[in-house]
Amino acid sequence: MTTEELEQLLAQQPIALLHRLARGRVQRHFRAGKRRLIEVLLRHSAENRPGFESDLQTLIGEREARPAPAPAQAPAARKPKPAAAPRRSPYKPFEPESQEPGITLSSWLEGLGVPPPQTFVPDAWQEDAIAKLREGDVVVSVPTGSGKTYVAVEAARRAIAENRTVIYTSPLKALSNTKYTEFSKIFGADQVGILTGDRRDNGQAPLLIMTTEILRNLLYDAGGGEIDVRLDTLGLVILDESQYIADPERGVVWEETIIFCPSQAKLLLLSASIGNPHDIADWLTTIRPTPCHLIKHSTRTVPLRAGYLHPNGKLAPLFRTVGIPHGHPGHLHPEAKRLFEQYEDETLPSGRRR
Amino acid sequence: MPPSIHPVDLILALREKHLTPAIVFLTSRRACDEAMQAFDHSHIFLPPPRQEAIAAVLDKVIAQYPSIAEHPLIPTVSRIGVAAHHAGHLPSWKIAVEELMRHGCLDAVFATTTLAAGVDFPARTVIITQSSIRKSRDFMDLTIGEVQQIAGRAGRRGKDLVGFAIVTPSPYIDLTVLTKGFTGHPEAINSQFLISYPMVLNLLKAHPLDQIQSILAKSFAQFQLNQRAEVLERKLDELRDQMEPFGPRVCTDWITEWQTFDQVRRQKSHRAPVRRHEPPEVAARFHFLTPGRVVGFGKSRGVVLRQYRSKGQKSPMVTALRQGGGITESPSSTVTEVSDRILDCVDAPVYPWCTPESVEDLLRQLDELPTRLPELPILIPKDNEPIPDAIVQTLGDFACPTCPSRAACQSDYPLASKLRQEQQRHIKSIQALRTSLWHRFQEKIDVLQQFGYLSPTSRLTDDGEWARLIRIDHSLLITELLRADAFNGADPAMLAAVMSSIAHDDDRPGAFPRVSSGLGSLLGQVRKLAVSLAPHEDPPLLRADIAAVTERWIGDPSLTWIGLCKSTTMAEGDIYRLLARTLEFLSQLRTLKGTHPGLADSASRAIAALRRGVLEELP
Ligand SMILES: Nc1ncnc2c1ncn2[C@@H]1O[C@H](COP(=O)(O)OP(=O)(O)O)[C@@H](O)[C@H]1O
Ligand SMILES: [Mg+2]
Repeated sequence: MTTEELEQLLAQQPIALLHRLARGRVQRHFRAGKRRLIEVLLRHSAENRPGFESDLQTLIGEREARPAPAPAQAPAARKPKPAAAPRRSPYKPFEPESQEPGITLSSWLEGLGVPPPQTFVPDAWQEDAIAKLREGDVVVSVPTGSGKTYVAVEAARRAIAENRTVIYTSPLKALSNTKYTEFSKIFGADQVGILTGDRRDNGQAPLLIMTTEILRNLLYDAGGGEIDVRLDTLGLVILDESQYIADPERGVVWEETIIFCPSQAKLLLLSASIGNPHDIADWLTTIRPTPCHLIKHSTRTVPLRAGYLHPNGKLAPLFRTVGIPHGHPGHLHPEAKRLFEQYEDETLPSGRRR
Repeated sequence: MPPSIHPVDLILALREKHLTPAIVFLTSRRACDEAMQAFDHSHIFLPPPRQEAIAAVLDKVIAQYPSIAEHPLIPTVSRIGVAAHHAGHLPSWKIAVEELMRHGCLDAVFATTTLAAGVDFPARTVIITQSSIRKSRDFMDLTIGEVQQIAGRAGRRGKDLVGFAIVTPSPYIDLTVLTKGFTGHPEAINSQFLISYPMVLNLLKAHPLDQIQSILAKSFAQFQLNQRAEVLERKLDELRDQMEPFGPRVCTDWITEWQTFDQVRRQKSHRAPVRRHEPPEVAARFHFLTPGRVVGFGKSRGVVLRQYRSKGQKSPMVTALRQGGGITESPSSTVTEVSDRILDCVDAPVYPWCTPESVEDLLRQLDELPTRLPELPILIPKDNEPIPDAIVQTLGDFACPTCPSRAACQSDYPLASKLRQEQQRHIKSIQALRTSLWHRFQEKIDVLQQFGYLSPTSRLTDDGEWARLIRIDHSLLITELLRADAFNGADPAMLAAVMSSIAHDDDRPGAFPRVSSGLGSLLGQVRKLAVSLAPHEDPPLLRADIAAVTERWIGDPSLTWIGLCKSTTMAEGDIYRLLARTLEFLSQLRTLKGTHPGLADSASRAIAALRRGVLEELP
């Protein structure tokens, strides 16, 4: 392919494809408009022309394999993609389209509403987490909105009943403030304190709320011999949103807190769903006096549905099924797909599609 | 067609389908503010009872936080039931919006995704308008974990039977990122163990040097490095099995023996002396150019993605990811520096030889590397040099020519030596994985010794004793400023102003008040020092206009919050955050009562002056 041909081929592609091609090649490619993006890509392609061309062919191949956007009635005319374009990307295996029709919008919306009031019954995993905390540390990794706070509250309640101090940390001051209000309502204002860099409200209370950095600093001071807050009676440390351990700048603070957490205190790590909660639990088991128990599940308590809303106000299910088709990103609803392709075509800076 | 749905249409569509309340995640604060403005002339008012409910909740919050009583968004919020919630707002305003959401009073909140992890309110529906977010100056695709965190806010337990996550496109959206995010399994998370100066000082305060390695070994970072080392160890085991048939023969180390003999023999017979015309240092280095290795190419830097030999000439080549994102294939001789640093990367069998996520990750890691890296000490063997005559004469000394296993050695040598090289490479990598944290820690120790915070035996010096109490970003700059007596005679306002210019890391432009001449010259001094420390610590932005905001607030106790906000184009929330971070920095200076009483006193007074009005509302 000559450079001119390559340039033409690039110009014929939708911008989304160009962005995909630019990923890992061009920094800040999201800032660039189409013409600029082509320019940069061309310049870049010089460094490894064959790799570049083959990636481009792969992306085009994947795109062509999707049925024609419109009209919806005439997909039969579409030929399968030419065998000549080798697919080289193994991470995004192309999923063959099944011809199943998608569900209707009304069945997608069905069941929406408010559940009848129910008495509060803790979930089995919540009970389990609280019980396991008697034996050792616990890592909880469950989807957002599952009810991790309940575990924190009950665990704190038990520790306080045993005259132990409880420290609850969150990654953000704002969240600390929210929890301060929430826990004060639950336990009574005299039972809850909050520590910030320059202020200490009710610092002798049995349940103390702070950001993880403040706790790390307390542990530094304790390590240096200056006992501060009642660390000797510390019975439980709750680290909420502990997936922050992977934060590029602040993650190390979570590690330090866990490493320096006094051995007599139990650790309760509450985390949103992550890919390797086992690693965290195994790690804790290797460095802490008692084995760590992992509580995890990935089923959402309130089922989730995904939809697509077109800028003209038209709503469609995003996937062919009512629920989320786990493991099948390609099971798009035909209507959502048609609308989105139309959107891409119309918002292309160059306007034209092959 | 407009590039994205109009906010009023969005709310109407959601109301019609009973999909409210909703959180609408938008790309920027500006987008949130503009969405709110879009309701200025609309008449989609809520029925009066709902408007009253909003007013009642707001009244309660205002009673606690008077700062929001006059908030300009209140009319839109209470009449239409939509609100904005982003980092440009005061915490008290955000609390009000959260409270309204918790009471189910609102139909929609426009928020930025940066807040997705920091807000504690759910809704029936979440609207997603983007597939990438700005992370440290660059746009990155949302990870599966992030998509699920965002979508996870949809569907309130006890209030909804189902939750809805709805994508509505805006320019540059990549639908596949989102569909993968909805349907995929969240990514594994990885340790990010940054070793900072305060960490080193505080660890050495509490533990003798010889215990540090075992403390670092307790980190999640080391746990994950060990996991990788174990993978290599398994490979080593396999190699050991493969090497089985090549164990000791007549001589214990027959591979080396044969290698030397073979070479001598060839030279003796005046045939082409060496197989490859590579200088020995190129050959020696080649073993270390393994995936993830940080290398220098003259002035620029890169990470090795794979090594291979070119097809025709069989010359050693490396594929490298360069700073800036280019992927190059070049002879390994163009590598001018092999650092003692290996970055995490997930190999892949085809171009670009690692997963796309790795590429992004590597680029980020590359950017974050310090300017100077320790070089890997590589022993350059002399085996390609002509063998001294003395040895050549002694060819007869080799047992090989008459050895019974000569034929076996000759035929096995190529494979055996290749396996052994591979073994050595793995052993080196395993060593690096086991010791890299400790090396990084030592680098920091070196600097702290050089500056006199640690004694040559790595004990805290007098300066180290107080310096360890400064546990914030740019701690080295701050402690060096104290040692240089830079704040001698600086009043509380000036001290706080300098601290805030060190604390502030946002380069958003704007028009701000002017600095006093005293502060100006002090900042000049700070800047000079920061630049001289640059090899050891990244300098802060040190914006004078930012310092001036703080100087004003503290210097003039009669200045109201509104007055302060009017003097700058900074958003209220940003001013608040600036002052809150300044408070944090000052409160660390305050702990230096014992050694720096004057400074600690000045910091205390600055804190007292700073904490007034809005800044007193929250702990
Ligand atoms: N066992 C339960 N039954 C019913 N509702 C629950 C239960 N546990 C928690 N909840 C409710 O679920 C909602 C989300 O809980 P929260 O603790 O905030 O979730 P997260 O896991 O994200 O921290 C709260 O309103 C809480 O009252
Ligand atoms: Mg929570």
